[in-house]
Amino acid sequence: MKRMHLIFALAGLAVSLLLPLVVRGDYHLQVLFRIYLFAALGLAWNLVGGYAGQLSLGHAAYFGAGAYGLAVFTQAGLPLGIALVLLVALALVFALLIGGVSFRLRGPYFALATIAFAEVLHATAKNLPNLTGGDVGIQVPALFHNHVQRSFCYCAILLAAAALAATAVISRSRFGYYLMAIREDQDTALSVGVNTARTKLNALLVSAAFTALGGALYGSLFLFIVPDQVLSIDISNEIAIVAMLGGAGTLAGPLVGALVLESASELFKSVFQEAHLLIYGLLLIVVVLFLPEGIVGGVASLLRRQKRRKAPGEAR
Amino acid sequence: MDLFTALQAVLNGILTGALYALVGMGMALIFGVMRIVNFAHGAFMMLGMYAAYVLFTRTGVNPYYGFPLVGLVLFGLGYLLYQGLLRPIHGQSDFMQILLTLGIGLALTDGIQLVFGADYHQINFPLLGKIIHFGDRIRVSAPWVVSFAIAVAACGGLYFVVMHTMMGRAARAIAQNRYAAPLMGIHLHRVQAFWFGLGVATAAVAGCLLLPVFYLYPGVGDQFTLKAFVIVVLGGMESIVGAALAGVLLGVVESLTSLYWGNEWALAVDFVIFLLVLSLRPGGIFGSQRA
Repeated sequence: MKRMHLIFALAGLAVSLLLPLVVRGDYHLQVLFRIYLFAALGLAWNLVGGYAGQLSLGHAAYFGAGAYGLAVFTQAGLPLGIALVLLVALALVFALLIGGVSFRLRGPYFALATIAFAEVLHATAKNLPNLTGGDVGIQVPALFHNHVQRSFCYCAILLAAAALAATAVISRSRFGYYLMAIREDQDTALSVGVNTARTKLNALLVSAAFTALGGALYGSLFLFIVPDQVLSIDISNEIAIVAMLGGAGTLAGPLVGALVLESASELFKSVFQEAHLLIYGLLLIVVVLFLPEGIVGGVASLLRRQKRRKAPGEAR
Repeated sequence: MDLFTALQAVLNGILTGALYALVGMGMALIFGVMRIVNFAHGAFMMLGMYAAYVLFTRTGVNPYYGFPLVGLVLFGLGYLLYQGLLRPIHGQSDFMQILLTLGIGLALTDGIQLVFGADYHQINFPLLGKIIHFGDRIRVSAPWVVSFAIAVAACGGLYFVVMHTMMGRAARAIAQNRYAAPLMGIHLHRVQAFWFGLGVATAAVAGCLLLPVFYLYPGVGDQFTLKAFVIVVLGGMESIVGAALAGVLLGVVESLTSLYWGNEWALAVDFVIFLLVLSLRPGGIFGSQRA
């Protein structure tokens, strides 16, 4: 079974790596980029929201830290490599602050605190024109100069692959089982000796690091960013919806979610123009009411049920 | 910056704060009775504003007369939304409930955008230009005073319903113990649907009162959802009196922030207060100390 998964993953990676060569035109390449980018972001969110069961609606904070980090650190004259390290460090500091405040609390407080923190950053970025360019925005250096769209696509694929590999390793490790134990029952996890606050924080740190790299990629592709674009609550929502739609707490969920949501949103954009976010709201309602385990989880439990129905027949 | 400027800012803050109090009370009611953090709260307020706007532009009835009708319509909508969407996921984790109300809010906001477009709207009637003077230095515009008066009356009415009616008693029973209350003959879903409807109607009425002094666009509710979070956390999540006091406090803090640091910092200060309260006094500053 495990070998099957590995073969699937490698085949998927091979197809992914070939796709940008086959797909023609900047528009289609950009849609492809969005799909892989949000797959990576959804996978990162999934560690906290899916495996640990902690609803974060403020991942824009790390996304924005990545995009603004790249812009600000390179403008300060730092080389690209160091800027990348620093922007990840910045996101980790934010994750420490958010997690430190809110992981001691139960219930809806974590979700509320994540939103609040992201909104503080949003307002700060708007109001510090000397550092962030304020509402006017700031220039982000180009990571690539030749075959721009295709190169970004490859970067997004690599990021998604790395996030997938990290999730696969974590979900089979002691750390991963701790996370799932916390999701199922925090008190029981605590009583058998899981340091719940520390474990949740570690998951958030890994998640924040990947999200920041995604944000940096996004910012660099557009070359110019404003707070309402990379630090808005819409980004946080989109990341969460990708993972929930595909299946929170499953390995393949965010990949499927990104493919479905980003394609659906492109289709909607051509029909409804400004109101294309309508699809997000409707999909969320449908997922919560009819597909609480997401597409991947729903299909998996359907298959399990069918297998169970078949099994007694064969035994006879 | 002299004393009168500060006084004027405090007064403005109290006027805004009464509207915040109303928004926050609706949110606190829904949380207290249902344990649902209503992420669609601002969207319902926005819906109330659009309803009042349509009423005004089509029939000429201004929001100060039209708000009971808008409240009634939105009460019905809230009641139906509870029975249709929220009731099926009753008892599930707050994770799912938050996502559901978030989805409802997004769908409402973008549905309105689809119908009315993204343009800004404002309404105008003679009262809006009037200014009331207190002494030489302090003045407030008349519509703010009317909105304030109606908001205070609505807050008082809501308090009365919670404390002195059967529905209010049932709601308090459910808030105290949601397992024992149904055993005492309380029809859980009927009571919850009623209070969800009333919470939605409260937000819509606040929207009606805001329309004459603000402007209208599909995303106008988003900031109020966020402010309602801050208010209920400050007030102690389920306490309606706490929410009312926190609303007024927030109004004053925002007004003073705007005066001394600039309008654009107001929301950031809200959230810094929010995070401080969450980390230092998670039971809220007006609420009991349990979280």
